[in-house]
Amino acid sequence: MAKIGGWAGKVLRVDLSTGRISTENTIEKYKDYLGGTGIGYKVLWDEVPTGTKPFDPANKIIFAVGPLAGTGAPCNGRTAVTTLWPTCWPKPLVASGHMGGNFAAELKYAGYDGIIIEGKADHPVWLSIVDGQVQIKDARPLWGQGIRRTTVEIAQQMGPEASVAAIGQAGENLVPMSVVMNSYSHSAGGVGAVMGSKNLKAIGVHGTGSVYIAGNKVEWEKLIKLHLSILGANNQHVVPNTPQPWAEYYNASSRWRASRGRRWEASSPAIETGICNPHDLNRIAYRTNNAAFYLGDGAWKYTVRGNGCTGCPIRCHTMIKVPRAAAKYGIPEVGQNTCGGLNFGRAFFKTFPDGLRGETAIEACMVGMHMSDDYGIWCNYSQLQRDFQKLYYEGIIKSKLEEKEFKSYSWDKYEKGDPSFLFELLPRIALKEGELGTALGLGTGSLLERWFLSEEDWKKDHGLNYWKLGHPKHHASEEVGQCGVIINTQYNRDPQCHSHVNFTRNGLPLEIQKRLAAEIWGTPDAVDTVGAYTPMNIGKARMAKWSLLRKELHDSLSLCNWMGPWVASPLKERGYRGDDSIESMLYSLATGDKKSRHELDQIAERIFLLHRALTIRDMGTKEMRTQHDSIPEWVFKDASGKTPFTKGTICMDKDDIEMTMDMYYEVMDWDKKTGAPTTATYEKLGLGKVVEELSKKGLLP
Amino acid sequence: MEQHEAIGLAIAKIVRERSKIGQLTLPEEILTELTGQNLMKSENSDQKSQFGDALKQAIEKNEDLREISGRDGTLRYYSAQSLSETYARILIQRQENPLLLMAEIVRENSAIYPRPVPLDIFRESPFDLTEEEILDCLKEMAQQKEYQDIAQTMTSIGTLFLYSTEHLDSDYASSLAEWLDVGQSNNP
Repeated sequence: MAKIGGWAGKVLRVDLSTGRISTENTIEKYKDYLGGTGIGYKVLWDEVPTGTKPFDPANKIIFAVGPLAGTGAPCNGRTAVTTLWPTCWPKPLVASGHMGGNFAAELKYAGYDGIIIEGKADHPVWLSIVDGQVQIKDARPLWGQGIRRTTVEIAQQMGPEASVAAIGQAGENLVPMSVVMNSYSHSAGGVGAVMGSKNLKAIGVHGTGSVYIAGNKVEWEKLIKLHLSILGANNQHVVPNTPQPWAEYYNASSRWRASRGRRWEASSPAIETGICNPHDLNRIAYRTNNAAFYLGDGAWKYTVRGNGCTGCPIRCHTMIKVPRAAAKYGIPEVGQNTCGGLNFGRAFFKTFPDGLRGETAIEACMVGMHMSDDYGIWCNYSQLQRDFQKLYYEGIIKSKLEEKEFKSYSWDKYEKGDPSFLFELLPRIALKEGELGTALGLGTGSLLERWFLSEEDWKKDHGLNYWKLGHPKHHASEEVGQCGVIINTQYNRDPQCHSHVNFTRNGLPLEIQKRLAAEIWGTPDAVDTVGAYTPMNIGKARMAKWSLLRKELHDSLSLCNWMGPWVASPLKERGYRGDDSIESMLYSLATGDKKSRHELDQIAERIFLLHRALTIRDMGTKEMRTQHDSIPEWVFKDASGKTPFTKGTICMDKDDIEMTMDMYYEVMDWDKKTGAPTTATYEKLGLGKVVEELSKKGLLP
Repeated sequence: MEQHEAIGLAIAKIVRERSKIGQLTLPEEILTELTGQNLMKSENSDQKSQFGDALKQAIEKNEDLREISGRDGTLRYYSAQSLSETYARILIQRQENPLLLMAEIVRENSAIYPRPVPLDIFRESPFDLTEEEILDCLKEMAQQKEYQDIAQTMTSIGTLFLYSTEHLDSDYASSLAEWLDVGQSNNP
């Protein structure tokens, strides 16, 4: 039999209770689930009993990567971290966080496709992985340290090439709103405290091996070039934000910010980003500047360069250097992150003295990034900050705290938008100090319960973006109509799915989007423009299914679903098409296991179905449509009284959404009444054993 | 290589090189270059006629080479390999009529994407309009009958957007502007 490529071939299992370290064969045990979340769900299904709590030693945390991690495939740097989710409320259920950085590649080079952590150490430890040598080491000297110092200390022992995934004080103190982070700024949210509960401070990994590519090397290189050629900027925005000589189209809100005259001013010498013709594959990294995207053009003068994950030319973690902030607040002058991480500090404030994109806002970003990325605090897609604003401005914080504690905060600083307020708040979250710090660190659901607040009130308030189970929406009806609604009903945290939004926000004119949509989902009516939604149709249901399966596929292959899928491109000569088969072509050549797009999507469906089965099993009900796939009330309201399907509103129609869910369950081959997958669907996708267990428990429709 | 063939190749190269850096090329600029390369003598009237023929042939022979006409009928050339018609039109209108340029950009964006356009974009390359030019254009638009479809909306953080009422109604334009300016960065 030909040697299989892609996978490293082994999954590492570390029992922290006994100190036993073992390996198992990836291909024999997990190939049908690819890797990443696929391995994670499989381990939880097989090994973690219903009723287990996130911080029980019986819970497991699985760091897993896929067959494309560490290869030359673009955007292959994702590690999926799967476990029972501490902020899933009122009952913990399966979920996963995803970190970029260099961890995935190093793990592969060390010879592993995943690490299953089980049990609980009797004292703080860290795990050292250097190729075949795996050791559990004493972390007592590191306990109490932030992520940055921990990383440095471990890197001094392992060498600078090692990737260190560490927790900060938040994770140690079992704060559910905590992260694990590697490569300075790449975090997986929500799982820090699960590591903390196992007394696991960090995992350091360094490998000197490589990933074997089974297919023809010339074909592989051609495929990589094809993939690079259809990349856009961050989030697969395929048009620039101002007119460029080569571009037919542009979009002011595109993340493709490069242009003549826009320079990384904080580099020495400053670097011109230039016109970035998409055919120039050596300039992909100049396209994106997420600091400028979020903070406005004022951020160019602070920009050093883009940073990012192994194998990714997009560099979405923009590095900024703000000496003024360093001098003023005693923090490092250089920081880097993207999205919620970049905005962590800024998002707490309603106003700043010089506006939301002014100098003070940038200072708040710097302070927030450094503190949260060191203490290891999670924002839950900025739900932490939205909750905080509501709780403060509605007087709830004042009513819930003892007067002494309330007065210990400088609320005048907060109201004025003074970033130094963050020095008062963030350490108390990480260290569980006081009622406010403790409550905020719980996550929304448990916070509401602790303070006797109504989840229904949160579900009515559009400004909060709260969806369900303690978590917010993530690209829902506000920009992808019914398809976004479906996607936000399916997971046990915010869905972190970008397949749909990376298409609708790509910046191309509606006519081209519709042409591409017709090719992929069978009808141009699958997509609408934002705020001009049309009634539900089968194309939207297909788009939702495709989006969810591609997300699981990416999470299992280690491709980045923040960047893909790649079904549109910046290339006029391709009619702006990308390639919907890029994942299957990469998989087939890397592994030697030839799979068509459809066949690989079926594996993704199996993985997604296992997630559904785990949710059903651990909720103890098959009534998913009514008990799980819920939609908050704000989705159906418009502040100005507009009715659904009129231009300028994103509000949805209740009857239409009922039909939406009917159509979605139909395209998934699930039972429409319960929203649960049928026996036939499980069996069709090779999950006969799941049927056996669910059948015994009466959890099949 | 025949002289006329060499001239044809040189013309294509000149236009392509300038297109790569985002510039249109006037016939006289091509002629100057050819003269500098000793392929033509500009003072010779026969040569001028020969240049006209060579230019025409080069355009016909190289399908990426395009010509675009300004309002005064002046032709300029570009290569579609690296310069789009969209960009070429902006360059021409920027020079001839910034007011019309702004209106056309706003109308096109409102029609095809559809979306309103932030006023700030006109300060950027390739528009490169000054604050004063932009304000003058806005004043003119408000007064001239043919621009009465160009309307304004301001987002909650004070960013001014323009749209065309021929393609977007005011509520819809305002909601799109708010989404583009505030919503997208609040929903990363």
